[in-house]
Amino acid sequence: MLSIRRSAGAFVAVAIGVTLVAAATLLLASGRPRVPDRLAYAAVVVQSPDAGAPADSFAPTRPWSAARTAELTGRLADVPGVTAAVPDRTFYAQALVDGRPPATDARREDAHQGHGWSSSRLGGLRLTAGEPPRQAGEVVVDRALGLRPGGPVTLLTAAGPEPYTVTGLVDAPGVWVADGVAAALAPGVRAIGLLVAPSTDAEEVAETVRGVVGGDGRVLTGDARGAVEPRGDARTRWIGRQVLTAMAALAGFVTVFVVASTFAFTVAQRRRELGLLRAVGATPRQVRRLVHAEALVVGATAGVAGLLAGAAIAPGLGRLLVDVGFEPATFQVRYEPWPLAVSFLAGPAIALLAVWAASRRAARVSPLEALREAAADQRPVGRLRVATGVLLVAAGAALSLGTATSDDARSGATFALYAVMALVAGATVLAPAVVGPVVRLLRSPVRRPGGAIGMLVRAGALTATRRTASIAAPVLLTVAFAVLVSGMVRTTTAAYAAGRADNVNAGWVVVPDRAPGLSDQAVAATGGTALLPTTVFRSDPGTPPENRPLTALGVDPAGFAAANRALTVVAGTLNDLRGDDTVVVPASANRQPTQPYALVFADGESVSLRVVAVVTDDSIRGDLLLPRSVVRAHDPSALTSAVYLRDRIEPPLGARIVDVSVWAAEADRAEDRLVWLFTLLLIGVSAGYGAVAVANTLLMAAAGRVADLRLIRLAGALRRQVIWLVTAESALVVLIGALLGGAVAFVGLLSIRAGLAEQVGVPVDLVVPWSVVGGVVGLCLLLAVLASALSAWRSLSSRTGRRA
Amino acid sequence: MTTQTVTLTGLRAVYGRGARRVTALDGVTTSFASGTFTAVMGPSGSGKSTLLHCAAGLDRPAEGTVTIDGRRLDDLGENELTRLRRDRIGFVFQAFNLVSTLTAAQNVELPLRLAGRRPPARDVTAALDAVGLADRAGHRPSELSGGEQQRVAVARALVTRPAVVFADEPTGALDSAASRQVLRLLRGLVDDHRQTVVMVTHDPTAAAYADRVLLLADGRVVDELTGAITAAVVAARIAERETVPAESVGEASC
Repeated sequence: MLSIRRSAGAFVAVAIGVTLVAAATLLLASGRPRVPDRLAYAAVVVQSPDAGAPADSFAPTRPWSAARTAELTGRLADVPGVTAAVPDRTFYAQALVDGRPPATDARREDAHQGHGWSSSRLGGLRLTAGEPPRQAGEVVVDRALGLRPGGPVTLLTAAGPEPYTVTGLVDAPGVWVADGVAAALAPGVRAIGLLVAPSTDAEEVAETVRGVVGGDGRVLTGDARGAVEPRGDARTRWIGRQVLTAMAALAGFVTVFVVASTFAFTVAQRRRELGLLRAVGATPRQVRRLVHAEALVVGATAGVAGLLAGAAIAPGLGRLLVDVGFEPATFQVRYEPWPLAVSFLAGPAIALLAVWAASRRAARVSPLEALREAAADQRPVGRLRVATGVLLVAAGAALSLGTATSDDARSGATFALYAVMALVAGATVLAPAVVGPVVRLLRSPVRRPGGAIGMLVRAGALTATRRTASIAAPVLLTVAFAVLVSGMVRTTTAAYAAGRADNVNAGWVVVPDRAPGLSDQAVAATGGTALLPTTVFRSDPGTPPENRPLTALGVDPAGFAAANRALTVVAGTLNDLRGDDTVVVPASANRQPTQPYALVFADGESVSLRVVAVVTDDSIRGDLLLPRSVVRAHDPSALTSAVYLRDRIEPPLGARIVDVSVWAAEADRAEDRLVWLFTLLLIGVSAGYGAVAVANTLLMAAAGRVADLRLIRLAGALRRQVIWLVTAESALVVLIGALLGGAVAFVGLLSIRAGLAEQVGVPVDLVVPWSVVGGVVGLCLLLAVLASALSAWRSLSSRTGRRA
Repeated sequence: MTTQTVTLTGLRAVYGRGARRVTALDGVTTSFASGTFTAVMGPSGSGKSTLLHCAAGLDRPAEGTVTIDGRRLDDLGENELTRLRRDRIGFVFQAFNLVSTLTAAQNVELPLRLAGRRPPARDVTAALDAVGLADRAGHRPSELSGGEQQRVAVARALVTRPAVVFADEPTGALDSAASRQVLRLLRGLVDDHRQTVVMVTHDPTAAAYADRVLLLADGRVVDELTGAITAAVVAARIAERETVPAESVGEASC
């Protein structure tokens, strides 16, 4: 009883949905922390204690001090089965090629990391040429840089550029210096790698090591060693997880609704057949089971097809995610069993959910339907349905506004996701009810007579209201969502850039060039002063958690006070922020001047500082102020992100200079780019489904129009004219839906612009990415035209178009 | 005295509301004896189809009761009614009454399968053989002629050995040769197997195959013929009714 043709629409929709779910879940399962290459040979890794912060803040662990590292390393080396215990010292360093950092992938954290040579043993690293570094001024670099052993090289560290001699080459990113140099540049250590004798079991060694380390660190083996991956990688992976989860959830959700409307349509078309079954003795329950079983078959086969397609596209999609920055460079696709199982079940689950409403309607078909000629389903739309639909669309609109007004990208993306879900659900529920208004709106643009085709197009669109509505509704909502969300993201980005430029009282900004930050020497060369941020750790007695990470800003008090207009001192004076034991805290820290304040620095040293001033919380964009020299003394790798200048200067090494408007536009570019890509992904999925829904409806409706089209042919129309007629009809409906959707969204955008202008305090331009909107409308138009032309052509060329 | 397989008492059926209210049946009381072939005739809108639908439990009358094989239909819920239809009633419709995706044999066994039984292949073959289509078992409806489709429908109506077969214009979409075949088939069922058959038709030739003809007008039984029925007699009686306006012929419908 299953008709392939009838189920094709549902099959395609389910298959696409499962493809997306399968690809997304496969990639989700693949996104695991990866053991860094440089620690690959260390069977056991001891990591310094976790910072007392939520996992998604990506705070670094609290390092061990130099003394503690030495003690711990010594004791670990004595553990039976351990052949060597090597501290992994990591600091900021990059080699300059032709006076500039090389154009390596800036997102690869290990490309600008330096290490002590002894830790090369942990990664099984071998020299491809030359000698290891033995003393200060010697360095081993990546072979890919094109340098030769014996030659000079300038190494950029947080202090500034320094001359080094290349002694050897390796086949890995980063630079390696003598252990003494590394110890000076990275006094704090976050990981100690243990090499284990070949015959020994790593787990047994780890047990003994746990006894040695106690609470002062975590002992990791096997895949768990991935915990020492770079923080940036962990953060990128987290972003990727959000994106993939959103994609899977949206795809599954939208599929249910698209498939539900397909099934509803099929049941409406089959009323006669279902009535016949009822007449010859099928109970309502049996009819329902029949419809369920069909959905299950469609769901299961489409699910398998989608699963295979998803598994096939996963590697490509994974590479794409790495390229755009949703996954770290170390990401690799792995075929785990659980995503395959989930995707395998997703097809039937989606189909069964989708068929729920349709099966209820099918069960209510009366046996008398078998005796009726036309199966016109013209029941009025229930009030409850209208109310539900209106509520859903309203919720969708409100959530879209939430996207605009949310402060950070994370909650904005969540709002956008829920918004599109609510709009899709609302559209499905409301579709039959919006017939009237849509048709009335259709009346005016097509009033002018334009030959026979024009007359038929007009009459067709106006009389076949149900079809018109079911085509226009998904277009309307897809376009509305695309315009609203893309316009909102673009307008918000532009508004914040304008606001940033307005807040900075400077003409030029020095920013890093192919480097993660500005060195001391670069900052000094600008003649300005700048913030030097570092992460410190504080354990408040009696208040968990321990090792709370805080952002401390190293400042020069006089310059800072002059530049920061928002600064309000509550107690003490900023001028006392000097020497090596002073700190300025915000009011929320609950400390008074002269009280002690203990911190653990990036070098692992615990230092008791003295509070010299208290400022209001909104005075500083961090948690503490420290003298710049103190930060530098304890964190040799701390880097400045930008220096603001009144006049243009020649940029120092590893830096470039841009004017304020360029800087403002660039400042959040990486994050803006990710948000934009995420937006495009959501729009892409929803637009794709909108188009599929339109094409589906057209293809299914075509069956009922065969007789009409034949009649028009008999009345003297050429086949070409009939295809034109059908194509023009659907194109018209798609365009009307697009215009309506665009208009609704534009009103929303105007209100968002007004809100933003208020928030940032400068006039905001409305930015609508027409290319995206055009793409969405074009996709709907293309599929609609193709579907209608194809079905018209097919029904006119087949002679056996007998209605079964 | 023969038993009455179907009894209708005071049936009234009303459709629409307000000004559009149509009384399709206006107090019909009659019965169909077992092993008889009854034709129900009347002009369009006389209520003959409604009578059939009510008698067969496809539609519920506004008033009155239907009793089939001793069971009152108005007491039954939708599921019980469906089961009763499945087991005790057979249907033959005007057209479009085979499931297009199933073969002739599958269509015939459909009611039994819906009842949760797996009919032995020879029963199905026998049912098809009885209508002369044993060699067409594997064909789909689109590969059968109109007459053959209707005979498959008759076979399907009989496969559950129902108490009564209702046929709604069974020859309406057939040419005269195919019509004759189907009508002879129905006649044969009555004569050879004491099957009860009730058929709605507007064709006097078809009605001539029946033992008894009920004439309906405006929702009432206005005339009844029994005994030797020929097409000419039926046509004459109908013509008579059309020339003489219906001035309350109030004949009791026995």
